[in-house]
Amino acid sequence: MAFKEIALNMGPQHPSTHGVLRLKLAVDNEVVISLEPVLGYLHRGMEKLWENLTYTQIVPLTDRLDYLAALSNNLGFVLAVEKLAGIEVPKRGQVLRVVLAELQRLASHLAWVGFQANDIGAMSVLLYGFEARERILDLFEEYVGARLTVHGIRIGGVPRDFDPAFVRKIERTLDGLPAKLRDIELLLNENRIWKERTQGVGVITAAEAVDFGLTGPPLRATGTRWDIRKDVPYSSYEDFEFDVPLGSAGDVYDRYLVRMEEMRQSLGIVRQALARLPDGDFTAKVPRILRIPPAEVFHTIEAPKGELGFYIRSNGTDKPERVKMKSPSFINLMSLAHMSRGNLFSDVIGILGSLDIVLGEIDK
Amino acid sequence: MMSPFLADGLIPLAKILAVILYPMLMVIVMIWLERRIVAWIQGRIGPNRVGFQGILQPFADAVKLFFKEDIVQRRADRFLFNISPVLVMFSTLLAFCFLPLGEPFRIGDYTLTLWVARSPVGLLLVLGLSSISVFGVIFGGWASNSKYPLLGALRSVVQVLSYEIPVGLTVLTVVFLARSMDLVRIVERQQESGVWYGFLLPVSFLVFWISAIAETNRAPFDLPEAESELVAGYHTEYSGMKFAFFYMAEYAHMVLASSLVVILFFGGWLPPFPGVKAFAFFGAVPGFVWYLVKIMFFLYLYVWIRATFPRYRFDSLIRLVWKWLIPLSLVNLLVVAGLRFLL
Amino acid sequence: MSALKRLFRKIFLVDILTGLAVTLRYYFSKKVTVPYPEKVLPPPERFRGILRLYRNDRGEPLCIACKACQRACGQGCFDIEGKREEGAKTLRPVKFDWRLDRCSFCGLCVEVCPTAAIRFSREFRLSTLDRGELAFSHEEMYLEGEALQHRLCGACRP
Repeated sequence: MAFKEIALNMGPQHPSTHGVLRLKLAVDNEVVISLEPVLGYLHRGMEKLWENLTYTQIVPLTDRLDYLAALSNNLGFVLAVEKLAGIEVPKRGQVLRVVLAELQRLASHLAWVGFQANDIGAMSVLLYGFEARERILDLFEEYVGARLTVHGIRIGGVPRDFDPAFVRKIERTLDGLPAKLRDIELLLNENRIWKERTQGVGVITAAEAVDFGLTGPPLRATGTRWDIRKDVPYSSYEDFEFDVPLGSAGDVYDRYLVRMEEMRQSLGIVRQALARLPDGDFTAKVPRILRIPPAEVFHTIEAPKGELGFYIRSNGTDKPERVKMKSPSFINLMSLAHMSRGNLFSDVIGILGSLDIVLGEIDK
Repeated sequence: MMSPFLADGLIPLAKILAVILYPMLMVIVMIWLERRIVAWIQGRIGPNRVGFQGILQPFADAVKLFFKEDIVQRRADRFLFNISPVLVMFSTLLAFCFLPLGEPFRIGDYTLTLWVARSPVGLLLVLGLSSISVFGVIFGGWASNSKYPLLGALRSVVQVLSYEIPVGLTVLTVVFLARSMDLVRIVERQQESGVWYGFLLPVSFLVFWISAIAETNRAPFDLPEAESELVAGYHTEYSGMKFAFFYMAEYAHMVLASSLVVILFFGGWLPPFPGVKAFAFFGAVPGFVWYLVKIMFFLYLYVWIRATFPRYRFDSLIRLVWKWLIPLSLVNLLVVAGLRFLL
Repeated sequence: MSALKRLFRKIFLVDILTGLAVTLRYYFSKKVTVPYPEKVLPPPERFRGILRLYRNDRGEPLCIACKACQRACGQGCFDIEGKREEGAKTLRPVKFDWRLDRCSFCGLCVEVCPTAAIRFSREFRLSTLDRGELAFSHEEMYLEGEALQHRLCGACRP
């Protein structure tokens, strides 16, 4: 049976598309020729909605963008607003934000490794990753009462201070994590099947990655050194010592290794932050009704998925004129077609997983 | 004096019934075991609400499947569509007729044999009969009149056919040692030589076991039917009881493969260390209990492997068998043949 | 790692056996499942359950109908009207309608309330079969525990 180009559809409902994503593939004898994502299934009109809400009211809604890393969304938006309004966050507030953001990065990557491994067949890693993530979500629940739509970073700082008991709790949770990471690595890192499925798959070169605007771990897996926490630091990240893991081959395997190492680095950052929490206020004084004179700002942060950016234009009222969000998943997804070309279509799912996309962020 | 009616009529009839019920019973046990063991490995409990510790769960699944609507597409080939599940189940069950479950034991002056039929080429028959299930797969894929099941069926067939070769080659090494293709004789020979063939032929055992996993379409070789892959496999378009048949046939095939491993490499119904006097007390436990224990170990191994490893991509799978397993089993065959000739 | 060591690991399936060892260890480890509903893990103190109105120690309602929560809410969950009785010190709500189906559990209303009248409870069993159940009137905002569950179950409609 000789196959010409077949059109295959990975429909919006699929166990492995990480959300409602439709992929139109053209396949020749198992090899992918072209791939076209169809987006919009989760579009909720967020950016338009925000034009009718005050800045304070927008913050809880940013949780719902990248719903696996709510605090990063909060942080991204709040930093942009503070830049616009000229609000200065006290040092303690900044460090507390770093703790929350890095814990969220850990939780996001743990969810990611679970999904990636499950897509490729290692079903137990999903549960192991999620069990570790549960411990972190328990911390968020204790802090502000919610696990997923956390709303734990506000304009001006954080909603509550950390008391010593909570700090000890965080440290205890962190103590339990390296063992879990080690177990996942023992199951995957050297496993011949895993290496066969991920090495040399979905390769993108450093130059191509930059051309496509790839950010986050997929970019660093190509060997390009770009981490906003280091290169354009925000929220006192410049005070912390941590490495930025880099890959070399730009394939799925390297992206996996980069994220695993990033988790370890995040553990280190949180420990550093908790060890030397500065005294002071945990939040700045922000007026009840925050009116910002007309100006515009674009601020980016290093979210777990990549470079998350918010563009805000204010008009003197307490509601923004326009908010535009640059979502890393959306930009990263655009390189999927390039990465998949030439690979077998059974690899498309693995490559898609390695990009770590969240549809909430893509469709807004 | 046993009446001919009993000896030639009722007992064979009972055995035929047993050969249908035994795999089905094992299937039910396997469904429960699989879900519980995978759950335990993942740090959770698994079904424990339907019946005591969830043992009624397989029955609940069966009832659910029974009540599902039986969908057949308009343009599907009805005859082939309906016959494929039957073929797959039938061929696997038929192969069970030749499997010896234990040593024969005496009731009065009648010797009850724990197999339905015995043939001097029983091994060959079992392998051949279980291969007929390939037809069921290809008919099912074709008759579904849909490109994804067809692709899945083709891949499944290529996989099964390719892995038949190392199966045949490694089984030959056992035949060399036992000088017989009779399954009962192979076990008896293991008893005579006092050691299970798995220890004399470790490479054969390993290659056979890996091929057995691939033959039964189980992880890590389950790409043709994995849920998270694009192509959903030859049984996509099947619903209700027909799907249940495919599902049960897969488990029955697993039991068959485990039984073959146990008989060929692990002494069948023999206790551990069959020749050693010091362990003679193992003989107090009846043979078929040992047989069941060993099968359960391999079935547990099936589930354990599934819960641990990622899936092989199809081309890696084929490359594995043609580049590595087949040359390895050929070399292994030559070595064993040579040693047998010399010793 | 030397080529010999790599070869040894490849032939003797070291990576396969390591993986199997990890899963075997988990097989014998303690399971994390909590058998709900036989065992219910109590939510932490600050858990964001359903919003409730509260009274002070003397049993008097704390809400002074200042509508700060209505202004803070970004989803339009509140519809409040207040009135000052003759000789009373503060306003009291004559209408306090709250919609559970619009609430995003963000907590802005809780933060702005000057008297801590509206707070999160720890009640998370909020499912109901009837959308009408999700609109609460003033008195119903004080229901808790069994009474709240009864109200949500559909047996008594407003």
